[in-house]
This record gives sequence, structure tokens and C-alpha cells, in this order.
Amino acid sequence: MLKLKLALLNVLRNGRRSFITLLAIQFGVISLILMGGFFASMYEGMRETVIRSQLGHIQIYSEGFNQFGSQQPEEYLISPEVLEQVVKQVEGLEQVALVTPRLNFTGLLTDGSKSLAVIVEGINPDKEALLSSAVKLTQGEDLFDEDIEGALIGEGLFNSLNVEVGASLTLMATTADGSFDARDITATGAISTGTREVDNRFVRMNLKHAQELMYTQGVTRLVVLLNDTEQTDAVMALLQAEFAAKGLALELRSWSNLADYYHEVVNLFDGIFTVVQFIVLAIVLLGIVNTMVMAVMERTPEIGTIRAMGATRFEIISLFVSEAVILGLIGSVLGVVFAILLAQGITASEIMMPTPPGSSQTYPIRIFTSPDLLLKNGLFGLTIAVISSIYPAVKASRMVITQALRFA
Amino acid sequence: MSVVKLQQVSRAFEVGNKPIVALDKLDLTLEEGEFVVLRGASGSGKSTLLNLIGAMDNPDGGEVLIHDQALSTLSDKQKSQLRSHYIGFIFQSFNLIPVLTALENVQYPLSLQKIPDAQAKLRAAEALDQVGLADFIHRRPNQLSGGQMQRVAIARAIVTKPDIILADEPTANLDSETSIQIMDLLGELNVQTGLTFLFATHHDFVLSRASRVLELKDGKIIKDDKLRGLTSVKTKAG
Ligand SMILES: Nc1ncnc2c1ncn2[C@@H]1O[C@H](COP(=O)(O)OP(=O)(O)O)[C@@H](O)[C@H]1O
Ligand SMILES: [Mg+2]
Repeated sequence: MLKLKLALLNVLRNGRRSFITLLAIQFGVISLILMGGFFASMYEGMRETVIRSQLGHIQIYSEGFNQFGSQQPEEYLISPEVLEQVVKQVEGLEQVALVTPRLNFTGLLTDGSKSLAVIVEGINPDKEALLSSAVKLTQGEDLFDEDIEGALIGEGLFNSLNVEVGASLTLMATTADGSFDARDITATGAISTGTREVDNRFVRMNLKHAQELMYTQGVTRLVVLLNDTEQTDAVMALLQAEFAAKGLALELRSWSNLADYYHEVVNLFDGIFTVVQFIVLAIVLLGIVNTMVMAVMERTPEIGTIRAMGATRFEIISLFVSEAVILGLIGSVLGVVFAILLAQGITASEIMMPTPPGSSQTYPIRIFTSPDLLLKNGLFGLTIAVISSIYPAVKASRMVITQALRFA
Repeated sequence: MSVVKLQQVSRAFEVGNKPIVALDKLDLTLEEGEFVVLRGASGSGKSTLLNLIGAMDNPDGGEVLIHDQALSTLSDKQKSQLRSHYIGFIFQSFNLIPVLTALENVQYPLSLQKIPDAQAKLRAAEALDQVGLADFIHRRPNQLSGGQMQRVAIARAIVTKPDIILADEPTANLDSETSIQIMDLLGELNVQTGLTFLFATHHDFVLSRASRVLELKDGKIIKDDKLRGLTSVKTKAG
């Protein structure tokens, strides 16, 4: 106890120096929490956008679709009978918010003067409106079940076609039996999915109309939206088991399997975060080591005295390391508290963030302070303090006693 | 039984490529209960001798034995433990830990021995009582006079009940009246507890309590006077 008290008193003894050390630790903890929390909010934003504009949480396909479907999509459609059975089954799960079918194909969109290759998605407009909450209508009106011929055109595509809302367009496609057909569609509005590349080539139309064009009753996929993204893996496993038990030749993909771009961005930013972590570590380390070496030099005669009284080298090390632990604990706790306050302040002020790369929508800056992030970076602060103290502590422990005492 | 034995101990320092012989093949035996005054001019080698006996420095030749244990055979950790249990130091500049109270300063060497706080506190208070500071135990060093600080340091040195106390010019920073009080105190402690003292000084006036006077010059003992018989037999508790 007395040893601990001595460490504490030593921390208090040079207030200015301890203050600087605490400041350095707090700087490290705060900057990493703010950055980590900002990245976390960005990841979440990206994730939820991609889920709620395109992917849903889980997609269900006919077996083989992911391997061969790109060559012969018409061979890997889900038949109406299977569709009905699966929808009933999936809708029965309490974690599921909704299930909706999609028929995907590529086509050629013509406004009379110009033809553009497009990616078409036949959808159930009422259900899709609930699933695709992150799809923003930028012009015109939304699609409804009754608008058999209606279609929503990706923003970029809409602009490059140079048409008005309500314009009639012709969509051509290769049908399921390999022939060629066309249908008229009406541009009811322009949409933005949040991903610019998609918006440049994307058309959404009524599923029934799309099925007529394609000469099919089937759909490419079923998209499942869950109540909570966290439940994805559990529901995936559950469905996999149920489909296998019922002998349904279906395969499943989670949003995470499908969101390559999301993972690329997360990896990139995680890499940046690691580099920043090292930079912060170096800055804080240099700042603290310096002040701790000063503390050691200043207390040279005291170190000699304590050694003369029988303290081992290890005890000298542990004295200085305990001082660092005290400073690290105080600095980390203060850092975490200030980081939470700052994060809340920044989030509340709703500053708009510059548009993320490849994205067509902007968000206000938000900073998530998850317990995990706080704990990790709090420990980071404590660890930096302890690591910084090791060199000065060892230096102190290696002092020649008789020489240390001469400074008394 | 001898507490300390030096056999042909030499210690030289290199100062600007020139070796300075601080101790020259010294032979010396200190017996239990002796109050030895070590006299000699500044630079005669007193501190060097005390540092060697205190296991804080290593001789260039010869051997130092504490209780027949050769120091050259001990590791740094073992020497630390030896200092902790067998040796008490009193310094010229008191060397108290400024942030600790008198009581805590005296308690500290006991905490290094891992003695529980409550017990250490009791023993520290007892030691402070012995040096006449019962009323000052909660003061910090900067709230004490020089004489009082040195008394705290004495309490700190005796609290572990060591076998020998090495005092390196402990009165050099005190006025003569206080110096006499401090020396009287050390003498009394020697009589009461049978503690062995080695007391280095460059003054001449410390003789009243001495049982033996050594005189050091240029690293050699030039005089070794036994003044009286041992003042006490060992009365160490335990
Ligand atoms: N660490 C050291 N480095 C160089 N010379 C030293 C060192 N310690 C002592 N000396 C020299 O050794 C001699 C004896 O010193 P010391 O034992 O301190 O004498 P005293 O304590 O009697 O004044 C002196 O000449 C001193 O300068
Ligand atoms: Mg000296």
C-alpha cells in the first residue's frame, strides 16, 4: 500500500509534468476514438445503404445461380411453385421484416434516338418500397403495383437519356427462350441508390411487366430484409438448414458475401486507421518518454537512497511503472469521457460530410462511441503510458547507487 | 562475532586517465556492538569504505565479508536484500523522500521487506519515538528542521533492526549544537540496542561515545584506537 501511495504522491508531486503526460495520453485516446467512431458510423452508413438500396440482408437463388447464372440466367430462375413455398416459410420467421422477389436481366433502353445498355430489375413495387428505403427518388414519382408499365430510371441514366418524367421508352431484352422482344415502359421517376455506378445503368420496373417481356413466370432471386443486420448469420444458418431439410435446391448469399465494394472500402479505411494508430502511438510515446526521463533524472538521489535501503532493481522499475499506470488510467478515463462528449457534440451539430468515394448521397458526420471502441482505445492509452515508462524505469533501475547518491 | 571483515580491500577510480587510489589494501574487522568513529580528511576514502561495506560498490581487489558472507559472491538482488536486512544508512543530506511523512519515510524500508502495513506502521512509530519525534510523525520533511530530519533518517535506519549502521558524515549539514545532540542520540542507541555503528566524520569532536576510532589517510588506516570495552552485548530482539 505504501508503495502504491508513494507512486501516487510522485504523480501529484510535479503537477505540470503529470498534466502534460495526461494531455498526451488524452490526445491519443480522443483522436483514436473520434476517428474510429467516425469510421464505424461511415461503415454502418455504407452497409445499411447497400442493404436497403440493393442487397437486402439475405438473397435466395436457385442452386447454381452464383456459379453459372451470369452465363445463362434464364436456366437458374426460381419457379413460381418454389417461390410460393419459400416466401411462406421465410415470412414465418420472426427476424424477417419482409421478402420480395426480383427478376434481373440486361437490356437495351431506347428513347428513339439513342440506345443504352441497362441493368433491369423487375420488382414488386409495394414491398420494394419498404426494403429499398435507402433508394432516393430524385425526380418524378414512385412506382406502384398498378403502374404496370411504369419504371424508375437510375439518376445518371435518366440524365444521359435526357428525357422528362412520364416519357415513354422502349426496353429490349433477350427472353428466357432465347428470342428477342421489346416492351414500352414509362419513366415515372429517377432514383439514386447511393452508388453512382449503379445509378448510371439501372432500371426498376414492375415484376409482372418484366416477366411478360422475358416470357417467364420465375424470378432471379428472393431478397430478404431482416429487422436487424446483426441477425444475418443466424438467419442464414437457419434457412440453410430448413432448405436442406425440405430438399429445396436453393442457395443463399448474405449481404456481406455480395458487398465487395463495402469490404474494399472497409479494408482500405482499416488500413488507414492502423497507420494513424501508429502515428498517434509514436507521438504520444515520444511525448511521455521525454517527461518520464526528466522525472527519473530529477529523482536520481531518491533512487539512490531507495536502492541503498534495499530496493531491488525490479522494485525501482515497478515504482516508475506504477506511476505510469496511474497516469495511464487517469489519462485514459479522461480521454474516454472527453471523446464521448466530443462525439456527441459533433454528431449533434450535424455537419455534412463530403460525399464518400463512389457514393451519390451525403450524410451528416456521425461518431459512434461503441463500448468496444471505448474500451479498446482506453486500454490503448493505458498501454502507451506503460510502454513509455519502461525505458525510463529501466534507466532508473540501472543507476549506479553510489553515483546516484552523490547528487543528494 | 565480527559483523564486517575487509581483507586487502582496494578501490581505485579513474579520473582523466589517471588512477586515484581511494582505498589501498585495507584490512579491517568490526565487532558486534562497536561504535566506530572513522576519521579522516575530505578525500581520504571514508565514503568509499562505507559504500563497499554497504554492498553498494565493488572493490577492485580483496574481499568484503558481512557476517562471513563474501559480497563478491552475491548477485545484485542478493546485495539489495542484504542491505535491506543487515545494513542501515544515514546520509549527510538526510535523503528523506520528500512526498512522504516522517512516519511513512520510516515505514518505507519495512515495506521493502514486505512487512504488512499495520505492523510496519507500529514499528515505524516506535522507532520515531526512540529518536524523540513521537509528536512529529505526520510531518513532511519540509516541515521539519535539519536536526529533526536527521532523526527521522536515524529512525529509518534503525527500524529494520540492522546489524550495522553506516553513517556518512551525518552531522556535516547541522550546526554544532544539533550535531552533538545527534551524536548523543546515536551513542544512546548504541548503548540501548547494541547496534554496531560506523560513523564517518572529518571533524575531531565526536569522540565521547566512540568505542573505537579509526583514522584514514590516503586510503590507508593510519590509526586504530580502542577506547573502551564494548558498551553492551547484543540485545537485539528476536
Ligand atoms: N566515483 C568516483 N569517481 C572518481 N573518483 C572518486 C569517486 N569516488 C571517490 N573518488 C575519489 O576517491 C577518493 C576518496 O573519496 P571519498 O571516499 O569520497 O573520500 P571522503 O569520503 O573521505 O571524503 C577521493 O580522491 C575522491 O575524489
Ligand atoms: Mg565522503
